[in-house]
This record gives sequence, C-alpha cells and structure tokens, in this order.
Amino acid sequence: MSTRLADRRPPAMQAILIGFLALWLVIAAFPFLWTLWGSFKVEGDFFSKADWANALRGPLTRAETGGAFTGAGYHGAWIQESFWRAAINTLIVVVSVVTISLTFGTLGGYALSRSPYRYAFWLLIVALVFRAMPPIALISGYLLPFYQWNLWGHLPTAIIVLVAINQPFTLWMLTSFFRNIPKDLDESAMVDGCSRFQAFRHVIIPVMWPGVITTGLFSFLLAYNDFAVTAMLLDKENQTMIPKIAFFLGTTQTKGNVMFAVAAVVSATAPLFLLVVFFQRQIVSGLTAGAVKG
Amino acid sequence: MKHRTFFWFILPSATAMLLFIALPIVSVLIQSVHAPHQQVIREVENCNVFGCTTTTVVDQEATRLLREAAPMGRFVGTGIYTDRNHLAISEVGALWTKSEGMGDFFGQLLNLPFYGALAFTLTYTALVTPLAILLGFAVALAVNAIPRLFRGPAIFVSLLPMIVTPLVGALILFWMVDARGILGAAIQSLVGDPTLSIKASTPLMWAMLIVYGIWSTSPFAFVVYYAGLQTVPQDTLESAMIDGATRWQRIRHVIFPHLLPLTTFMALIKIMDNFRVFEPIVSFNAGAHAQSLSYFIYSDLGGETRLLSSAAATSVLTILGVVILLSPVLVRTWRSFGKETA
Amino acid sequence: MADIQLKSLTKRWGAFVGLKPMDLHIGDGEFLVLLGPSGCGKTTTMRMIAGLEDASGGDILIGGKRVNDLEPKDRDIAMVFQSYGLYPTMTVYENIRFPLKVRGIPEAEHHDRVMRAARTVELTEFLDRKPAALSGGQRQRVALARAIVRKPKVFLMDEPLSNLDAKLRVSTRAQIKNLHHELRTTTIYVTHDQIEAMTLADRVVVMSRGEVQQVGTPLEIYDRPANTFVAGFIGSPAMNLMQGTLKGGVFEAEHVRIPGLAGPDGPVTLGFRAEDASIAATGEIAAPIYAMELLGDA
Repeated sequence: MSTRLADRRPPAMQAILIGFLALWLVIAAFPFLWTLWGSFKVEGDFFSKADWANALRGPLTRAETGGAFTGAGYHGAWIQESFWRAAINTLIVVVSVVTISLTFGTLGGYALSRSPYRYAFWLLIVALVFRAMPPIALISGYLLPFYQWNLWGHLPTAIIVLVAINQPFTLWMLTSFFRNIPKDLDESAMVDGCSRFQAFRHVIIPVMWPGVITTGLFSFLLAYNDFAVTAMLLDKENQTMIPKIAFFLGTTQTKGNVMFAVAAVVSATAPLFLLVVFFQRQIVSGLTAGAVKG
Repeated sequence: MKHRTFFWFILPSATAMLLFIALPIVSVLIQSVHAPHQQVIREVENCNVFGCTTTTVVDQEATRLLREAAPMGRFVGTGIYTDRNHLAISEVGALWTKSEGMGDFFGQLLNLPFYGALAFTLTYTALVTPLAILLGFAVALAVNAIPRLFRGPAIFVSLLPMIVTPLVGALILFWMVDARGILGAAIQSLVGDPTLSIKASTPLMWAMLIVYGIWSTSPFAFVVYYAGLQTVPQDTLESAMIDGATRWQRIRHVIFPHLLPLTTFMALIKIMDNFRVFEPIVSFNAGAHAQSLSYFIYSDLGGETRLLSSAAATSVLTILGVVILLSPVLVRTWRSFGKETA
Repeated sequence: MADIQLKSLTKRWGAFVGLKPMDLHIGDGEFLVLLGPSGCGKTTTMRMIAGLEDASGGDILIGGKRVNDLEPKDRDIAMVFQSYGLYPTMTVYENIRFPLKVRGIPEAEHHDRVMRAARTVELTEFLDRKPAALSGGQRQRVALARAIVRKPKVFLMDEPLSNLDAKLRVSTRAQIKNLHHELRTTTIYVTHDQIEAMTLADRVVVMSRGEVQQVGTPLEIYDRPANTFVAGFIGSPAMNLMQGTLKGGVFEAEHVRIPGLAGPDGPVTLGFRAEDASIAATGEIAAPIYAMELLGDA
C-alpha cells in the first residue's frame, strides 16, 4: 500500500518519531530482558554492591557455580520452595475461572444483547458500577462470612469469587459482541423451528468463537494477574503463583531467596509472553472494541 | 426476548454478581458499623488472711458466648468512621484550630493515615492518567509513522508493560531501581550520591510508583489511539489539504476532533483503574512511604490482628470515592445507551 | 394453508405506540403487502405475526387458531429476512435442510425435499458452498429455499429485495411472484418500495405512523387513495396535490379553475396524476412551466 500524500511527514519529524519509538521500545522491553538475563546469575551479581556491570560479566556466578549462568534460582524456587505446586494451583484457578466466566458470560451476554427491555440496560449499568469496585474492598466483605462458614482458604472459593469479579467485564464485552451478530440469525432459527435455547446452541454458538476467545483472553489475564483475591482468600497450601512470589519477598533475609523470587517472576511472566505472541491481534481488538465504538 | 427466557439465561451470571459483589458490599457496610467484642471482664474477690482484694480476670466463657451470640460484634454506629484511622473528625478539628496557616494544616493532615492514603491515591491518579495518555499518544503517532512491516513487532513490545502481572511488573522495576540494581546505580552516579536509596525517601518512592504507573498504563492508551489513527477519515484529511490547510491545521481540525471521544473514554476508565492502585505498593514494599486506599485496606486485613471493621470502614469510603469518580461515566453511558435503545 | 386474522392488534413500548389497533383479514392463499415508509409499524406487525415480538393487545389468529402465546416455532410459518439470516457455518444444503432437521422430520425425506426446494430457486449447483461464497442474489434464493422447503401455512417476507441491486431486484421479484403462483401459500410481504407492492400484491395495506391508512388492491389505492398520505406516497411521480376551495362544483385556487367536480362546498385538496394532465395553450391550470423532465411512457 502506497502512502497517501496526506500521510507524509517532513523527514525531520519522521526521524524524531522513530528515535522516540526506539527509546520507548527499549523502556518497554529492557526490564524484561534484563530480569530474564539476571535470573541466571547469583544474587551477588544481579544485585551487585560493587559494580552494576557485574550482572553482565557475572564474576560471582562464575566463582560460586563455575559457569557463566546458573539455574540455582529456578531450582530453588521450583523444587526447594515448591513453586510447581503454586503453578498447578494457578493452572487450576485460571482454567476454571475462564471456563466458568465464559459459560456464565455467554449466556448472560446473549440475553442482554437480545432483550429490548429497560431492565437489561439497568443490569448493564449495575455491572459497570460493579466493574469499578476495588476487589480488595470486596474482600473485606468476604472474610468474616467465609471464616464463619469455613469457606476460607480453598481453591473453589477463590475461583468463584474471581468468576464473580470477572462477570461485569465479561458481560459488557460479550453483550457488545453479540449485538454485532445479526438478530436475523437466531430469529431465522426460531421461525425454522428452534426454541430460544436451541437457536442459541445451533446457530449462535457456532459463530460466537471470535468474541468468546477475545473475552476469554481478558478473563485469563484477570485471573492470572490477580493478587488481591488469591492472596487474601487462599491458605498457604493452596497459594497460586502471584501470592507465592509476594511470599518469597517476605522471606528475603535468607541469602538466595531474592533469586528465587527473580526466577519465579520470570517463570510467571513467560506464559503471558506466549499469550501476546499468539493472540496479539485479539488483545488489540478487544482493547479497542469498547473505545472505538463508545 | 421473553422475560422468562431472559431470566434463565442471565441467572448464573446475576447470581454470581449478587452473591459475591452485591452482598459483600452490604456485608462491608454492616461490618463498618460494628466493632469486635471486647473481652468480658469480671471482678473477682480474693480473700486471704491479709484481707480481701478485688482483681479483674477475663471471663473466657462469657466472652465466647457473647461472640457466638452476635458474631458481627457490637454496634458502634459511625464510631469507626470518625476514629483516628479514618476520617479523624476530632483530630482534624484540633489541627484546624491549632495549625498555623493552610500549608501547616495540610502537612499535618497527611500524617493521619486515611488522609495520607487518600492524598497518595489522588496524586497517583491525577498524574498517571494524563501522563500515560500523553505517552501513549506519542507512541501511537510513532508506530503509525513506521512501515507496516515493523508495526506488529512494535505493538508486541509495547503491549508487554500492560499485559504483565502488576505485582510482577512492579517487582521487575523495583529490582532495577534497587540501590544495587542497574537503574539504581545509574541514578546514584547521575546525581553523584553513592548512598542514595529510593527505598528510604518518600518523594522518590512516590516518583517511582508514578513512573511505574505510567509505564504500565500507557500501552492501553497507545493501543486505543493507534486504532483511532487507523480510522481517521481520509476523505476529510484530503479535502482539508485541497482547501489549503497546513499540516498542523489538519492535525488540529481533523485528527484531534476524531480522537477526542477516545480520550474521554480512556481517561474515565483509567481514572477508575488508577484509583484502585494497589499491587505496586506491595511490590515496592512502599507501605512506609506511600499508602493507597486499597493498600490501606490490605494492610488492615493482612496484619496479625485482622482489623476487619477498620478495613470495612475504609472499604466503604473507597467505594464512595469510586462511585463519585464513576458518575461521569455513568451519565455518559446513560446518554449514549439510552439513545440506542429508544 | 390458512387465513390470518388480526383483531385490534396493538404494540406499545412504554408510552410509545408502535402500532395502533389494527384489524385485518388475510384470505387463504392471498399475497398481502404491508407498505409504508420506515417506522410506520409494518415490520412490527409482521414480527408480531411471526411471534418474534409480543403483541401488547389484540389477537392473532392463523387458520382460526389464536397464536398469541405460541412460540415462533409452533406457529408453522416461514420467514425471509432482510439480511437473509443464513447460518454462516453451514453449507447451502445444510441451511435449507435446517428447518427439517430441527423439526424432527424423518431423515429419509430430507434429501428429496431439499433438492426440490433448491431446484425451484435454481440453486442446485451451489449446494456445497457456504453463504459467504455466494452473491447477494444467490443468498436471497437460499433464504427463499429455506422458507419453502417445509410447506408452512404462512410465508412472511421482510423487505427481502432491499439488499439486491436494481436489476436483480426485478428478476427476483418475478421469481417470488411465480413462486406464490405455484405454491398458493398465504404470504405477507413487507416493503417500503411501492413498485414491489404494486407488482406483487393481491391487496396492499398502506401504513403510516403505526396506523393503517388504506387497504385495497393495487389499482384501488393507485386510483382512489383514501387520504392525502396515500395519494402522496403511491405513484412515481407522486400525485399532484393542490389546496383550494370547492364552490358549486368548481374548484378554485391561484391560477387554477376546474369545473365539473362533485362534492360539498368548502376548502378541499385536489389531486391528479401526472398522466392525467398535458400541456396545452389554454386549459384549467394557467401557470408558467417550471421545468420539464422526460420520464418515458409512464
């Protein structure tokens, strides 16, 4: 595609923009690369009192382990401190939250998109208010009843809470997505002989996947990135990755523990990288959906 | 859709929200007007050869019974709201009469925990929101200026600070600005003070938290603006050229008006999100220098003695703050949506 | 096969009245067109008959049976939608077969019936394609085939030609006409295009602002419009309307004097069709010519 005349910029401006972009890309990416690199060093190098460049050359890593890189941080975190257990818990939580959120959300979003009545609009407004609630403020409402009824500490509790906190956003996103599926489609099916639910199952479900995938990505991010709910509602055995990392920080006195945290941080970031690699387009379209339309 | 069908479709989602969002708000409200029971004290008379003395002991049995009878605690009305850790009405009153001038008054006010947290939360929101939007806009312009082939990778990298777990992203930055980290060392050599530590300084801590906020928020602004730039009406742009508009005039009169609605939308969403700032304070271990409202609740909940009532009161105040911030969004949604359905 | 009866059928949304009480009898095998500008309530009327919209009042009877409380699927109707409502994930064959499948019609019959419907609308070469790979006209024919595959009591068509280009519209119009001639199924057809209404309808219902203006055969509404709305809406160019007064059988307005008209004295509106007037040196209307247009032999 050739650039239109209207899009052309003076060369000086073009140069400034490219220079700025390069700077931004460094700011955005460098912290990740640096931490990835540092996670294979010992603490004395990555947090060097003598010279920051030690993190690059790694003299202490060489001296302590005999190699330029060491997997000690990963070993310590994953094996010694059982980070694998947290990873499994995270997997359980995230998969359950995404599945349940999407099931609830597609049903609700479809209904909201097809109801002409005023109460559907009210429900969406209420959901918007709920969406703005700080999770931690809600958590102070959970603790007492959860202690009382012995619900505190278990994975299912955290899962259903995350699903609920996720619902407002999921509902909004899926409602606006279902609105873009022509009503003619399910109405055809109903005239052709389906009940509302059969119409949903036979003709809406087959065409809803792009919207569901996009929404699912954001449900995933919410569940995966959550700290408040999982930190406050899970006991130590059921901890997920993010609270576990925070827990490592609390015990930094012991030498090497910081490197456990660094290794854990890199491990926890890796899935998110992959997510962006594979779903960049959906993430961008999901982020802009609300904005460009609204 | 018929009412009955609608009901069954919405039921799971509505139940989840009712049980775990609406009821907790009610529960928080109730908790915030109750304080835990004090222990039941009993006077016991001990008589021995030297005569009788009365001592007080904790009546464990009575305490237990009392707690079981009313698990919410005792009703204290607005007592928790007005105590020193929250609105601190009497302390503020005392400050007002004693303080010399407004500067002194506000300085003292910020030492009260709730007002300190409120001040940081508002400062953070007020600075991060516009700066992140500006940075995001600049990045969008820059990405829009490079050949199509390179845009994908540029977008990929630009998304990272937003997609990364807040707690983790903040940690990564925190380790870099540690006195022994690469950025910390760079800053030390820049100002020529080898003992400079960000952890020890309140202003630097605030600055770092805000830098983190901008770093993690601007990708969202970038993505929205970038999408907006793709849909700038080319016809209008070209007719403006034919009409003799300069480059700046075209930006001013065509591109800005096109992006304005996006900006309002984003500002509202981000104000809401930034108001909830929480994780970076945990990561930066910054509780001593900067508390946000969310962090304030968290530290009440997480301590050895779980201060549920105090946390509940702060939660209610925070929710009120959110609702106030949200009101423009509500009005806006109201209008645009109302039009659609009518 | 069935007749349809509407008894003071109404639709309200809150305070807004979408359809004022409407009474209508549609005979068995009749082709009825609901005609009117957008927002006149014609689509709402059809959607209530289909069961896609609840009636706020009144009764709908299909074949003498009240259907107000029946689901769309239980009303034994078929509908062609404006944007066709084809199922994008199914092939043409599966699209046509869908109504048979969900209604539990014995599998053995499916193939024959699908093929017969496809032949009727000349779609047999496209059966393996997905809707996305079809042209607008072909998609329209899939929608038609899906409607006729199941011999319903009633056909409902909601502006089925509005998404086609002008040339295709004429040929598809003829096809619909022919289809009705062969099947003789009661049909209700919604359109804002008066040419479609005139060419297809046995009877036309002209609607405006949620109210029936006139019910009649195409010729009746063309020649004897019931009111000025119908007069101004039907015909291209529309009927000329003139304000004036009638006195002793003579219509008078500025530059105009037409004798020999019947009616009570007083202010009236006079209407005449373009083809009923011609340019002459002297006549009943004495006015300068504003512009002349060539419209063919209208």
